[in-house]
Amino acid sequence: MTPIEQYLAPATLDEAVGILQQGEVTILAGGTDLMPQSKAGRLAIKRTLMNIRRIPELKGIALDNDAIRIGALTTITEILNDPLVKEYLPVLADACDHFASDQIRNAGTLGGNIGNASPAGDTLVPLIVLDAEVELASKPNGSVTTRRLPLAEFFTGPGRTKRAANELLTAVRIPLPKAGHVARFFKFGTRPALDISAISIGIAGVIDNGVISNARVAFGAVAPTPIRAARTEEALEGRRLDEATIEAVASAARDEVNPIDDVRATAWYRKELIHNMTKRILDHVAQA
Amino acid sequence: MNVAEKTHFIEADTLIGKRIQKKDAPEKAAGKTRYIQDMVLPGQLHAKILRSSRVHARIVSIDTSAAKALPGVHVVLTAADVPDQQPIGVARDHLPLKGERVRSLRDEIAAVAADSEEIAEAALKLIRVEYEDLPIISDPQDALKPGAPLIHPEPHGADGKHLHLKPNAPIAFAGKPDNIAMQFDYTHGDLAQAEAESDVVFEDTFKLHYVTHCCMGVSGIIAEFDASGNLLMYSNTQVPFLHKREFAEYLHMDPSRIRIIQPPIGGGFGSKLDIYPFEVICIFLARAAQRPVKMVFSREEEFLASPTRQPVLLTLRSGCKKDGTLTFRQVHTLHDNGAYTSWGATTPFVMMQTFSSLYRVPACDYHTTAVYTNNPYAGSFRGYGNLQATFAIEQHMDMLAEAIQMDPLEFRLKNAQDAGEVTGQGMKFKSCGFKECLTTAAERSDYQAKHRDNIVHRGDAGPVKRGIGIASMLHVGGGAKIYPSDGCGTILKLDDFANVTLITGASEIGQGSETVLSQLVCEELGLPISAVTVVNNDTAITPWDVGVHASRTTFIAGNSAIGAAKKAKAKILAAAAKKHGCDETALDLRGGFVIKADTGEPVVELARLMRNLHFSDKAELVMTTFYYEPPSVHQDKGFKGDVSAAYAWATQVVEVEVDTDTGIVKMTKVTGAHDVGRVLNRLGIEGQIEGGVVMGQGYALTENLIVDNGVTRNPNFRDYKLVTAPEIPEMDISFIESMDGEGPQGAKGVGEAPSICIAAAAANAIYNATGVRIFALPFTPEAVYRALHGKAEKPQLQAWKVTTT
Ligand SMILES: Cc1cc2nc3c(=O)[nH]c(=O)nc-3n(C[C@H](O)[C@H](O)[C@H](O)COP(=O)(O)OP(=O)(O)OC[C@H]3O[C@@H](n4cnc5c(N)ncnc54)[C@H](O)[C@@H]3O)c2cc1C
Repeated sequence: MTPIEQYLAPATLDEAVGILQQGEVTILAGGTDLMPQSKAGRLAIKRTLMNIRRIPELKGIALDNDAIRIGALTTITEILNDPLVKEYLPVLADACDHFASDQIRNAGTLGGNIGNASPAGDTLVPLIVLDAEVELASKPNGSVTTRRLPLAEFFTGPGRTKRAANELLTAVRIPLPKAGHVARFFKFGTRPALDISAISIGIAGVIDNGVISNARVAFGAVAPTPIRAARTEEALEGRRLDEATIEAVASAARDEVNPIDDVRATAWYRKELIHNMTKRILDHVAQA
Repeated sequence: MNVAEKTHFIEADTLIGKRIQKKDAPEKAAGKTRYIQDMVLPGQLHAKILRSSRVHARIVSIDTSAAKALPGVHVVLTAADVPDQQPIGVARDHLPLKGERVRSLRDEIAAVAADSEEIAEAALKLIRVEYEDLPIISDPQDALKPGAPLIHPEPHGADGKHLHLKPNAPIAFAGKPDNIAMQFDYTHGDLAQAEAESDVVFEDTFKLHYVTHCCMGVSGIIAEFDASGNLLMYSNTQVPFLHKREFAEYLHMDPSRIRIIQPPIGGGFGSKLDIYPFEVICIFLARAAQRPVKMVFSREEEFLASPTRQPVLLTLRSGCKKDGTLTFRQVHTLHDNGAYTSWGATTPFVMMQTFSSLYRVPACDYHTTAVYTNNPYAGSFRGYGNLQATFAIEQHMDMLAEAIQMDPLEFRLKNAQDAGEVTGQGMKFKSCGFKECLTTAAERSDYQAKHRDNIVHRGDAGPVKRGIGIASMLHVGGGAKIYPSDGCGTILKLDDFANVTLITGASEIGQGSETVLSQLVCEELGLPISAVTVVNNDTAITPWDVGVHASRTTFIAGNSAIGAAKKAKAKILAAAAKKHGCDETALDLRGGFVIKADTGEPVVELARLMRNLHFSDKAELVMTTFYYEPPSVHQDKGFKGDVSAAYAWATQVVEVEVDTDTGIVKMTKVTGAHDVGRVLNRLGIEGQIEGGVVMGQGYALTENLIVDNGVTRNPNFRDYKLVTAPEIPEMDISFIESMDGEGPQGAKGVGEAPSICIAAAAANAIYNATGVRIFALPFTPEAVYRALHGKAEKPQLQAWKVTTT
């Protein structure tokens, strides 16, 4: 009944990108998106199903010069418990702490969350405000090559990315945050656990003498992809977090997003949440 | 040293009120319970149903030829293949397989039995159905408009041969000239006078939404005919004896040739109280295939094709005097029946009790119209209309209290029922702990002080507002006399080792009946719980019982089990007295021995006595039977009469935090006081109440089956939000033991009670926190946020004023 003709489980990166090169491959990591989606008929698995879970190069979190490199196969649980993440990227740990349930976190991977390219993917918004880059590997003419792309530019639509069919997402690189760096994540679902974001907000920046620079703002679940919000960033950049700025940023955020109505929320309510919660996050930062 | 000091005396002990582990808990916790999902019979086929892809349409043609040709397919059935099918359901308005018209998206058009589920699924995809769309009614108010499209105009025959009516053939379902499925009218007192005496009158419309049971065990059945044509069904039904009879009618069979076995049931909550098309269809498939056929729903199918709680639009008018005396209630409800009539339409039976009798009210006038629409159809669900009624009535109680500037608790106490009262509807409250429920829940939650404080703090800075709300309920607690008998039979047998087999008609659906019934028997016979084996799942073995509904099992089956145990005890003591030359009234049973009642001195080990009786020249076995029929009465045509042998009461106080920036309502604490008659199994009753509170919480805050123009938009657990563990509030539950005179050891039914008040109390708590009253459920964040910003539409019910005169 299923169209899958072969199932492969390569043990090295080299092998895996070699298989991808042959075309018609669906990549399986934790399967927590892939399996429910294919069962519901929303996604058709291609001729070859390739399980990448045996590839050691895709695992682990390490310092790599002035960046933290997180392998695509790292599970949400591993990110949550990692000391480097806790120390340097607490906002990512916070997002993982609002992610699904223990069972799903144990199976679901960072690469899968990115590869699935849902506008509501919970690691995407914090990674975007952390200036993360994705690392893609392929083997176009006999040898493995890699390229990097800013995550903020990676998504092209729901379930769609700039990854070429012959590429494997191998890792995410996040520059080590500078001194004074502050980042916050907020996810809104109707219940505290096991919910898909109706909206999510990431805000980051460097605070020096009360003034914000390098402002980054991203929103999830308000557009076909997670988005960086340029006009909201502008309202924040170079400002002090006083009441007027906070209100201006929150209003800019509400005006900048253009969400839709669905079973989870109406567009109007999403915009209200974006405003109110952007304000709440900034109020908290200002008070801290 | 005298003899007495050497003898081991057996002290009096009781199991009543103890915390006793459920008998089925180890199996369930270990994952060893074999549900219907786990069963595989030799030669079994797997069945799937093709459902409509249109909400309302005429079926032009059905082509099953490609499906029939698929290898591995054994049977494909459509309405044309079963000309003897009968309309089923509460109003006999529902043909299992639809041949002419589909009326909702759940409608069954064809069914396949195949070697595997996958093949059956593939076969469904090969069936071609041509439709001609008909206008859709999805708003129940539209169903009553003049010129509205009709949903059930055509009659169905009952001659066992034809789908269409033959001239002069008997009619099973006459067809409907309008979209009215059922109507209920009740009245007591002089409404006009009572209204004239009122100082304050409120009229509001409340809107109650769709939710569904979400049983862990989805619907399923295995049907099999033996070579003599006897039908064996493995079924999750809650009412095996009623269904046996009903199936016999639908299948033109002698009921004695139908046997129903219930494998362990993964939850019922009312959902398994009616016969559904899938069951009849599975039997048709088994008949055609001459093989066992198994049909189990997927989770999505469970959402789409099992019944919902009754959605209701309800207009309530209530009045009171300045001194806090209630004067009248007038109620008009519009029930959205969905495309077919199931038990949902009959929830007025329970709703009117709440309006007429929860509080003393001199005049009550109640009317329901249930209408056909093209929506999913509503069935019975724990609480049976009472959540809906209580939601309205308890909000009005707060509103009236506020209008006359009376404390909401005082107002309720002033109008609350007492033991000994006979209500306008003829209910007699022999035991009634209502006022104690009110005062206990209020005191333990510090309700009055918090209620006042929260109002003072509404205007404080900060987005989070605290609120507290109170609501109470009345529900049948001693069965409900709906059917000719509301009884239950027991067969009790003691073996040579003084182990008991308790054969009871009462089904276990997870509520803990096996355990509590064992406990009641052991209490009579002085045996440990482990001495009892319960047999309760086979119509060929167990005596008759009306079924698991109306919170009745502990009360009715409990009294039945006690009756059988008392008979056994009398027989045992008589035999022991004879053998040991003493007076049987001086003997008792305790700790596995016959003892002297006054001293506890053992006379003979019970097991030994049993063997002596058995292996003697005049062999005797201890086997008894008992049938308990509660002393309740059927209601008269005006719905008056003392329909239950006892009534349960409860008050629940709900505390919330409302985040006004998001609309999120966090339920922080529930303080409950339940008049349960008496606590039998403390562990069981705590579980029952905690689970019920969470079910009520889901109804109030998160659960919402979104039905949009006849289409269910969220048939999955991703978008249908059940309450998860972190949201469950702190609970403080008190038991009010009113020691009901008729109840088993004084107990009353409690199964439905805990879910009933939560939404009503939550509504009052949100008002207490924010000053905003919300008349529609559920209180999802967006709905609350809208209400706080004046953007919630107030529900309206125009229809009733047009249709009733
Ligand atoms: C009950 C439940 C709750 C959930 N809750 C949340 C939640 O709260 N927040 C959230 O964000 N998500 C949630 N999800 C979605 C899902 O768990 C996550 O997106 C998860 O991170 C996916 O990872 P995976 O390894 O399981 O991906 P898979 O399902 O294996 O793959 C997902 C997609 O990415 C592709 N892919 C995977 N790895 C790679 C790679 N290395 N290179 C290229 N492509 C790749 C796959 O081909 C597939 O298209 C939930 C899912 C379920 C079932």
